[in-house]
Amino acid sequence: MTEKIPGEMIPDISEGQARDWFAVPRPADAEGYLRLQAATSARLGVWRAGTRYATQSMLRFRADWAGARDAVNTDVPADFIAACGFLAGSTQCADREVYLRRPDLGRRLSGETRELYAGKLAHDARVLLAVGDGLSSAAICANAADVILTLQQGLALAGIETGPIPFIKYCRVGVMDDLAPLVRAEAVCLLIGERPGLVCAESMSAYMAYRPDPGRPESWRTVVSNIHAGGLPPVEAGAQIAEVMTRILEQKLSGVALEL
Amino acid sequence: MRKESLLSVGIDVGTTTTQIFVSRLMLENASGSTVVPAIKIAARETVYRGNIFFTPLESETEIDMEAVCGIVAAEYRAAGISGGMVDTGAVIITGESAHKRNAEKVAQLLARFAGDFVVAAAGPALESVLAARGAGADELSVARGSAFNLDIGGGTSNYALYSGGELRESGCFDIGGRLIRVDPAGQIEYIAPKIARLCKWSGIPLRVGRADAAALRRAARAMAEILEMGLGLREKSKAYPEFLTDGRDIAPPPPGACVTFSGGVADVIYRPPGGGDPYRYGDIGLLLGEEIRKSRIPQAFRPESPRETIRATVVGAGAHSTAISGSTIAYSREQLPLRNLPAVNWARRAESALYGDGDTPVAVIIQDMKNPSYQDIQLLAAELCAWHGGRAAEGVPLVAVCENDMAKALGQAIRAVSRGAFPLICLDSVAADSGDYIDIGLPAGDGSALPVVVKTLIFG
Repeated sequence: MTEKIPGEMIPDISEGQARDWFAVPRPADAEGYLRLQAATSARLGVWRAGTRYATQSMLRFRADWAGARDAVNTDVPADFIAACGFLAGSTQCADREVYLRRPDLGRRLSGETRELYAGKLAHDARVLLAVGDGLSSAAICANAADVILTLQQGLALAGIETGPIPFIKYCRVGVMDDLAPLVRAEAVCLLIGERPGLVCAESMSAYMAYRPDPGRPESWRTVVSNIHAGGLPPVEAGAQIAEVMTRILEQKLSGVALEL
Repeated sequence: MRKESLLSVGIDVGTTTTQIFVSRLMLENASGSTVVPAIKIAARETVYRGNIFFTPLESETEIDMEAVCGIVAAEYRAAGISGGMVDTGAVIITGESAHKRNAEKVAQLLARFAGDFVVAAAGPALESVLAARGAGADELSVARGSAFNLDIGGGTSNYALYSGGELRESGCFDIGGRLIRVDPAGQIEYIAPKIARLCKWSGIPLRVGRADAAALRRAARAMAEILEMGLGLREKSKAYPEFLTDGRDIAPPPPGACVTFSGGVADVIYRPPGGGDPYRYGDIGLLLGEEIRKSRIPQAFRPESPRETIRATVVGAGAHSTAISGSTIAYSREQLPLRNLPAVNWARRAESALYGDGDTPVAVIIQDMKNPSYQDIQLLAAELCAWHGGRAAEGVPLVAVCENDMAKALGQAIRAVSRGAFPLICLDSVAADSGDYIDIGLPAGDGSALPVVVKTLIFG
């Protein structure tokens, strides 16, 4: 360890991408190795000490794992929800522990939330936009605003206005089946955080359905996934979702039967 | 997406030979079943490998247009295709042929005959790139780091360097096997003026009408030495700059790079010709090949087998000239196809004559916008609309070509700002820059993507 100089920060081990991490000392062909590394999200070039990982690589692995856990265990900040103008509600999960153990409760709105949404959301809307934390709050903070603004612009060009947007805490995808009938929405688009991995903890999905209700099969849902800075860029996702939503309204169906 | 393919034709009218190559570009939606398409060229199938014809000349300064068209018509019949079936491709006039008086006319006539969507192109830089792709140097560099191709033809030698699959440098030398022509008896029929000067400077006694095997070999060696100079293996002589086709010197390849040789002279570089008449092709191509094989070039770099040798340029034009845009884009279909759009980098718009006359659309190149925010897109859309609205004549489309995946969002934003005041083509995942010319074809992949040909230069 280097001696700590007062007032100086130690380097942030979780900074940058793990795939840019290259720990091989004296490589014969560093450029060639980096090309191989760039072709995969697997951890190459982490080096070793005896039969174990090098300390830095081990720490990096644990930092990414902690990042993934944090994405699941952290709440979307209240001031973010307020700044976006979302209507904050929750499912029937009392806390995160229950949310992780009881997927069924994550698909139903709490009584209080039902009341709030029945009163405040637009009824009989052509498109209801909704946001849920899902398994990554970080994904919502990173991507939701750009997707929503672009999506609203795209829908407006097609003559479709959207109303207030609910934010649902402890949210599973299936909650849209509970939400849509409540306000008789014709089509729903739910933005939700994806299960984080060691590669990316900020990936978001958009689940869409025409007149969702609890009797529909999973195959009734249409999804645009992998929305994040290193995947489908949020603004492109927003424009693509707008087009998919207009097709859903035209064809009055969604999921595997939808033609694009 | 249903199975879809593009029939692509390449026609190369070179200094020595005229060739055609027909391939089928197989398109595939690489995204599988999701609702975000990703149309890619999954495979390139050879439909027809044409014969190799001598380029018919009317005179030293003119290509025999009728005879060239006759060759192409006969080859089309042999391939079982007609112009109407062809979706894309390129006609390229290369080497000395590009300097003939009627080169541009020939290219345009051929392009029209070859099919509505076949583009006419020329220029040493494009020729270098197409030959390197045909030889496979670009793919080689993905596995091996750096690789360059040297396409040695009748009139010119084209150089293109790739690193990790990306083009790093291209250039062209006026060195070729047909710059000295010889009759079967070994008597010299023709010496290109530059070569005559090179011989004079080097003290090589070469004269038309004489036969002198030793002098011819020395001339071939002097030509190989010019290539050594270009590749950084020999000190540059006073004569060297004369042999840079467009006057621009090249950056040499890094030490230890892989090298592929293509062009008519290439076969002799890989294998000794093994006796026979060295002048059997009526020129010194075989001698030049031998001298390159014996030069410092194969020693200093790592020679690899090219995918194509004499056909590299035509295969490049036929199978590797068309790229497929990103699959989330925005366009007004009735504006397509668009041809020969001069590309102008948006970041350098002030320096360029963007919309010189206001009637011709230009391709606005937008780079370095990885992961733009909604606000970034709105700002750019507003600026583009103001710029376009103030300069372009009514009905001229705004064509935006983005490097990064953002075209659908940008197209949507432009429509929101312009309220349909002008037609729009907005596509992405295409690498181009100021100085390029761009052709955009009819939609492919169930309308998700557009075929694009980026040409480095057309006739001046």
